[in-house]
Amino acid sequence: MNLAIETKDLTKTYKTSSGPQSVVKNLDLQVERGEIFGFLGPNGAGKTTTIKILLGIIDSTSGEASVLGNPAGDIESHKKLSYLPEKPYYYEHMTGVEIMQFYASLFGIKDRDLCERLLNRVNLGNDMNRPISQYSKGMQQRIGLAQSLLNDPELLFLDEPTGGLDPIAHIEIRDLILKFRDEGRTVFISSHELSDVERICDRVAIINKGELVHQGRLDQLLSGGRIEITADNLTEDVANKFRGDDFTVSFKNGRLIADIPDSAHPGEMLDAIRAANGDIVSVIPRRKRLEDLFLESVAGDNVLKGRKMSKMTDDHNAAEAVEVAKEEGAN
Amino acid sequence: MGAILSIAKTTIGEAIRRRVLLVILLVGVLFLVIAPGLSVLSLRQNYTVLTSFTLGVIQLTSAVIAIVLTVYLLPNEVERRTIYTILSKPVYRWHFLLGKYLGAVGALGMMMLLMSTVLVLVFRIMQQQASMDDVLQLATAPIFFFVQMSLLAAVAMFFSTFVSPIVNFFLSGGVYLVGTLFSPVFQDLSNNQTLPAAVKGAATVIHSIVPNFAQYNIQGGIINQGPELRSIELYYVQIVVYALFYIAAFLIAGMMIFDRKEV
Repeated sequence: MNLAIETKDLTKTYKTSSGPQSVVKNLDLQVERGEIFGFLGPNGAGKTTTIKILLGIIDSTSGEASVLGNPAGDIESHKKLSYLPEKPYYYEHMTGVEIMQFYASLFGIKDRDLCERLLNRVNLGNDMNRPISQYSKGMQQRIGLAQSLLNDPELLFLDEPTGGLDPIAHIEIRDLILKFRDEGRTVFISSHELSDVERICDRVAIINKGELVHQGRLDQLLSGGRIEITADNLTEDVANKFRGDDFTVSFKNGRLIADIPDSAHPGEMLDAIRAANGDIVSVIPRRKRLEDLFLESVAGDNVLKGRKMSKMTDDHNAAEAVEVAKEEGAN
Repeated sequence: MGAILSIAKTTIGEAIRRRVLLVILLVGVLFLVIAPGLSVLSLRQNYTVLTSFTLGVIQLTSAVIAIVLTVYLLPNEVERRTIYTILSKPVYRWHFLLGKYLGAVGALGMMMLLMSTVLVLVFRIMQQQASMDDVLQLATAPIFFFVQMSLLAAVAMFFSTFVSPIVNFFLSGGVYLVGTLFSPVFQDLSNNQTLPAAVKGAATVIHSIVPNFAQYNIQGGIINQGPELRSIELYYVQIVVYALFYIAAFLIAGMMIFDRKEV
């Protein structure tokens, strides 16, 4: 397999007053070349620590990490990768083009045309001679992406690239990242923007408390959706028949709302409802979302079930509100 | 080398815009400008008082600037995360540290050049009877202050690799005070044959570790010209080589610590 990043048993332990604390534990990551890889986890999960190890900014306590075929931190790899940190700061006295020239000089590049071309690419061509202090957050993020392209990198590390941006800037950055993949680059994104990750990433890894919880292709990780069945004119006895480990059932005023896995043969449930002379109101298949997977991974089942129940209660209340409105309209 | 110079250039650009440094510089320049007014209050010889006061102002202002400028150089880069963007490029950590140091020295040199220019102008205006040689001799003192401050910046840079800016401020300031006021004392103690070996040893260690900043205060010779400056060129070469040696030692030690530091 042609891997851009690979870690084996990567562990980072800090000595604290309360004893050794591992922030990354036996992490095994595989990032393939040419893909957009989402690296997810709650705050404090060990994402930034992992990125710092991969960039050679800090050393791991044990385990192995290789980047573009070289050990993490190797200066040869640094010629072929780029990093955009979360909330980057740029020397404010400099103009956009001066910042680009500064970062270019760190690669030994003295090509002002290249700097201007890249600024144009991120739509900063008209602002390149303005001081960075006058740039908006979105513009600073775009210049961050422009500087990350100076060395025509094979691998980009982007830490929260869309964090705190307005919707337009958000879409612009997202589109740029997709173009990076189209150009054959590998993009490693650490982000809390799950909708973005779901939309643009090929594969993801989710870590929690330093440990890898999930890693794989998004379509595989998100298989196994659920089906929501709503039926009226049922008795509670019928509703109780459907209660099970992975079935979430609510019943109120003759209305049943059941949330079941799509592998649970919904036909049997529908037959049973019909047999009990119930009216099937709706059958809605729900694809599993990254948000669900993320919550399953980091928050535990209780939170997830609570969230499902809360959503169903909301649906139930909404259905009741519609009925009340209908009745009021009829009166 | 290109990366080191780029980092140095950027550091100069940042430093000469830092308000706190500009305020300190402004106060220093202000004291230089009003110095003639203060010196006429003295009963002593006008030239002596004016020289002593203005060179003292330059030295003190430069020392404060050197410390305040340098103690924040590395912590600011970490806090603002610029260091991560730079170190993820093909830049070694020693490139970064050396670039920051050279930038600090460059900014310091520019600020000291401004103060020295004001110093010379004040003397040309207030001491019109002074010869060109007197003025040139006067201008020599800030050059050695610059060497002294470059050494102080290296000390502060060394400490900044492992202590916080506030602690560094007092540590570097302490080293400067000890090296300026007590270095001759420790030198005498280390050469005193009548003292117990332990005291002599301790004095020798302190004298070896803490740079002798006092030797760069050559205004004594300018103010009270006498026999002690007769082999002046050799003395100048010696103290510059001494400074370069200590600067290199502090920077190399700082680089070794910074190379293993988790930022």
